Order: sequence, then structure tokens, then C-alpha cells
Amino acid sequence: MRKNAGVLFYFFLAVFLIAVLFPFLWVAVTSIKPPGELFGADAFKLIPDNPTFENFVKVFTLRPFGSYLWNSTVVAVVTTAYCIFVASIAAYAIARLKFRGKSLILGIVLAVSMFPQIATISPIFMFMQNVGLTNSYLGLIIPYTTFALPLALWNMTNFFRKIPYELEEAAKMDGATTWQALWKVIFPLAVPGTFTTAILVFIAAWNEFFFALTINTDENMKTVPVGIALFQGRYTIPWAEISAAAVIVTIPLVIMVLLFQRRIVAGLTSGAVKE
Amino acid sequence: MKKRNRRGLSERNLGYLLVLPAMILILVIAIYPVVRSFWLSLYDVRLNDPTKLETHSNYGIDVERYANSMPFLISSLNKEIGKAEEGNKDRLTSAKEKVEKARSVLESNPQLAEQYKKVDEILFEGKNVPENLQFVELQEEKAQEATQLITEARKELKALEKAEALDQPKRVVGLSNGLLSSFIEPNFVGLKYYEKYFKDPRMWDSLNNTVVFTVISVALELVFGLAIALLINRQFFGRGLVRASVLIPWALPTAVAALMWKFMFDGQNGVMAKIFTDLGLIPDMGTLLTTKFWSMFAVIFADVWKTTPFMALLLLAGLQTIPNNLYEAAEVDGASKIQQFFKITLPMLRTTILVALLFRTLDAFRVFDLIFVLTGGGPANATETISVYAYKTMFAQMNFGAGSALAVIVFFCIAIISILFVKLLGRDLISDGSGK
Repeated sequence: MRKNAGVLFYFFLAVFLIAVLFPFLWVAVTSIKPPGELFGADAFKLIPDNPTFENFVKVFTLRPFGSYLWNSTVVAVVTTAYCIFVASIAAYAIARLKFRGKSLILGIVLAVSMFPQIATISPIFMFMQNVGLTNSYLGLIIPYTTFALPLALWNMTNFFRKIPYELEEAAKMDGATTWQALWKVIFPLAVPGTFTTAILVFIAAWNEFFFALTINTDENMKTVPVGIALFQGRYTIPWAEISAAAVIVTIPLVIMVLLFQRRIVAGLTSGAVKE
Repeated sequence: MKKRNRRGLSERNLGYLLVLPAMILILVIAIYPVVRSFWLSLYDVRLNDPTKLETHSNYGIDVERYANSMPFLISSLNKEIGKAEEGNKDRLTSAKEKVEKARSVLESNPQLAEQYKKVDEILFEGKNVPENLQFVELQEEKAQEATQLITEARKELKALEKAEALDQPKRVVGLSNGLLSSFIEPNFVGLKYYEKYFKDPRMWDSLNNTVVFTVISVALELVFGLAIALLINRQFFGRGLVRASVLIPWALPTAVAALMWKFMFDGQNGVMAKIFTDLGLIPDMGTLLTTKFWSMFAVIFADVWKTTPFMALLLLAGLQTIPNNLYEAAEVDGASKIQQFFKITLPMLRTTILVALLFRTLDAFRVFDLIFVLTGGGPANATETISVYAYKTMFAQMNFGAGSALAVIVFFCIAIISILFVKLLGRDLISDGSGK
């Protein structure tokens, strides 16, 4: 961070930001266009003549978009909670306790996180169908483990390793028991890393498409990404409604990113950069 | 390790105990399905054919179907014989005898006889047949003898149906079909699917598309990502805001991003299609999503948009770990900016670049959502990647055996790519912390 920003710099920065943000802007504009302005020359106007919120209303009244949101929320929250729970226990052990085979365990975790979903879908789908779990929350939460658990385990191990051993030792010197040291010293220090990992797992589960597409096909059990992708119009693709839905999905995302950007960046880069 | 091993054995065991739940879950939910996928790919499993719903290594019979067809076939044949004209009576009787012979051959198997009785009672009460009573394994000779007898009888019945000599032709022929479909043949096909796909031009095309997509999009993402990382690796006004806006494409569901681009590439109302046309890149707006070259371009474009920010963030984090005094020293020695980039920045970023490339390459190689939503693999399979091909084989044709073979091919490609990268990275990727 030694260079100072010049005019040319701000020019390139502006080009880059426009490239990144233009699609969002365009979709936001489309979402408030009335049906008449979606086609022909009006389709390329940056400012609609008669802005309307009709498309947002339609998304909830004509389509089960409310159910999609609820389904995605339930599946993503439960997946995150349970994977974080299981992974935090294992990550604590890998980061703090002394036993053999850690490299092997981490190697397996990393390898599994690289598995293509397509290579697991046929047995998982057949199993879900046989036990009647297609079109259920559990039908997605179980397969989501395949990517959520390795992601959580890998990240949390990286975070927990950064907690200095000396603190735990010092607490024990002062007469704390193992559990007290864990509860009073380690746990508070582990909260930020856990929280960051939870955000990453939640986003991964919220965005998941492939399992959701194949396992929950019932209209009322679809998740947001699949639901929007399969929006059907009578004659054409309902772009205005899709845009409205995309805006609804993006707004909480923007808020979340603004609130947690530091954590997200820390989480994303923790595995890739060795300090 | 600064910590002394105070708890001795118990610490080690506690470690294993705490890791156990996660490892069991990974084993059961992730590793087992991959192994099972390979197993399925050796069988002709089809979810739209009731006799091929599972892998079958042996001959067998579906007792429920058998109980629903065999007795009714015989009783309706008796009725037909009663009503038939003189000349057809013999033919019907011989058909019935064949069916009865098949029945006695089959029910000489004591297990079938017993299970049949139970299932018959359950069906009579209108209940569901429990899984453990559903199937009986048969000896190969008996199964084949019975199948042959019934096939012959059905042939006879079909001939009679054609001659309009039956009272209830649909019922009789339908029951004989039902009876035949209760037989289960082994559907082991070995490596047949792999052989088939090895010669299948569509498989090679889809593999080629996958490689083209992966190489070009990851290369562009690396170049753009590095450029952006270098650009924003300094102090400037609104740094946090830039970082936040960069994160939004990354956090957006790929399916939604793909839809947004599909809309903007649209041949009639797509704004990007219009811009490209106005710039003279494409002859008319429809070109983007309807021609081979431009549809691949569109898909890569959308992927680069979505994942370059992620790449930039990873590389930026890497850049920030490079100590500043290296550059200062180079400056003193009179090295130019370009020399500094190639002699300091790139070598210091090596691990970060390799890790970023590894994750991006694997993600790009298994690409599904983006292409499924944006082009559906079209036009004329021009953007069909191997994952999309496998998906279509499984869920459009319900051909799970063949689809699993394609999935296993994807798996092995991914495995090869990973091994290559891990070799390049060495032990940088997985260190158990003890070396630090």
C-alpha cells in the first residue's frame, strides 16, 4: 500500500466498478418497468417512463416466491447450524489436540470439498426417492453436508490454529480446569472465526442449485435459485418478474456484504494465503 | 508444538473422538455416494423401468407383480376358453397350459411359494407389500424356462387378439405383459457404458466444451483478477465500498447471475446484445445465443463477470503479505516496475495463484448452474459441458447407469486436475500446523 491514487487510477476503478455493477443496475431498472416498456425501443431505456412496483407484487401473488424464500431460509439455516456444530468440534481437535493422522484427515476433507456434485447425485437421489425424502427439507439438508461440512471444517481449522496456545496455558496456570479454559478463554476467541465460517456456509447453502433442482421438484418445495430459474411465462420468459425476484434476492445480500465484508474476505482468503 | 502432552493417551483418544462425527458424516454422505456411483455405472439402472430400478446381480421375480397377474391370467384364460369358438379352444388351452407350467416351475421354489401366499393375503387386504417380501431370487434356468413359456403363451394370445378371437383381448394380453414384467434379469453391464462413451462423439464434444470453458474463463479471470488486485492494492478513497461491491457478484446465486445475463444477452431485448451489435462485434442481436462460437463466448463472459472479483480478492490478500521492503530494495537497486512485477510480485504470489487457480479450475470444470440456466447446453449442444450431459442422461432419460458413468468420468477428470495442482503446490496446501 505504498502507491497513491492518481486520476488514471480512478478512471480504471470506475471502469471496473461499472463492469461489476452494471448488470445489477440494469436488472433493477427492468424490475420497475411496466409490461409495455419491456419490448422494442423502450427495452433499452435507462429510465422507465412509468415506473411501477407491479412486478414485485406479482412475484409474491402469482408465484410461490414466499415459499421459495422460506424453503431456502430453513434449509440454509439448518445446514449451517448443524455443519458448524459438527465441524467446530472436529476443528478444535485438529487445531489444538495432539494426535496422529491430522494431515490425512485434512487431506480427505480437502479432497471431498473438490468432489463434483454430479458424481454423488445418482445414489443420493435414488436413496431420497426410496425413503421418501424427495421434496422435503431433510432431502436437501442431508446432501448439502457434502459441501458444507468440508467447507466449515477446513475454514474453522484454519481459524482455530491462529488462537495462541499460550492463553489456554496461562488460564490453566491460574488454576482453571480444562473445561473452564475451553469455555472462558478458547470459546470467546473462537467466535469470530466460527461466525465467519457460518456466513460462508450459509451463502453456499443458500446458493446451491444442483441438489435443489433434482431433489425438490415440487413447486412449493423449491428453493430460491431453482424457483427463479424455472419461472415460466405463458408465451415468453417473464423477464420483469425475474428481475424483480433478482432484486429481492440481491438486497439482503448487499446488506450482508456491507455488514460482514471484512469477515467474508478473511474467510475466503484464509486457506489461500499463508501468513 | 509448544504444548506439552499432559493428558497423554487420553488427549489422543479425545482427538479421535471429536473428529469422529465429522468423519463419519463425510464418509457416509460424500465418499460412499461416489463409490456407489461407480458401482451404479456398471449396471443398466433406469428409473423409468420398474424392473431396472436397482442393481440386480441375479435373476429374480417381483412377487407383488406376480401375485397381481399370474392368478388373474389363468382365471381369465379359463373364461376365454369357455367362450371361445371350437377352433381356438385348443390354442387357448395350450397357452393356458404353458402359463400353468411356468407357474409350477416357479412355485417349485419354496421361498416363492411361501412369499407369494403372504403377499397375496396382504394384497387382498388392500395393504402395501413390505420391502422384505417384494422380491425373490430365482435360479437362472428356472427363470429362463418360465420366461420362455410365458413369452410363447403371450405370442399365441397376441395372434388370437389379432384374429379377434378373444372376448377381452386387452385384459388377457395386458396380464401376460404384466406377468412378464415381473421377472427381473441381472442388469450388470460391466464397463459397457465406458466403452460406449469412449466412442460417443457427444461425450468428446462435451468434454471439449468443458475444457475450452475452463481454460479460457480461468485464464481470463486470473489476468483480470491480478490486474484488479494490483489496481486496488493501495490506499484510496472508498476502499471499503469497492471491496463490498466486488463481493456482490461472488455472493449472488450463480443461477440468478446466469438469468440476469440470459436476459441481457437476449436476442430481442437484451441490452448487452444491443451493445455488442452497436459496437459491430456481432452482425445482429440474435447471434449471441444462437451460434456456436458466440454462445460459448456468452457463457465465458458471464462466468468471468461472476468470479473475477473472487480471484481479485484472493490475489489481493496474497499481495498484502509481500513485505514492502522488497520493493524498496529493488527500487534502490534501480529495478523498473516491470522488473519488480516479474522478479518480486509473481514469485511471491506463486502459492496464492496456484491455490486460486486450483479452486477456480475445479469449479469451472464441474460447471453446471451457469450453463444449465443460461443456454441449457445449446445451441445444438455447443455449450454442453460434461456435467450437463450427465444431468440430461440421468434426469431427462432417467438412465441412471449411463449417467453415473459420465459422472464418474467427471470425477476422474477432477481427480487428475487436483493431483496435478497438489503436486505443484507440494505440502503448502495441507500442513497440520506443526511445522509453523
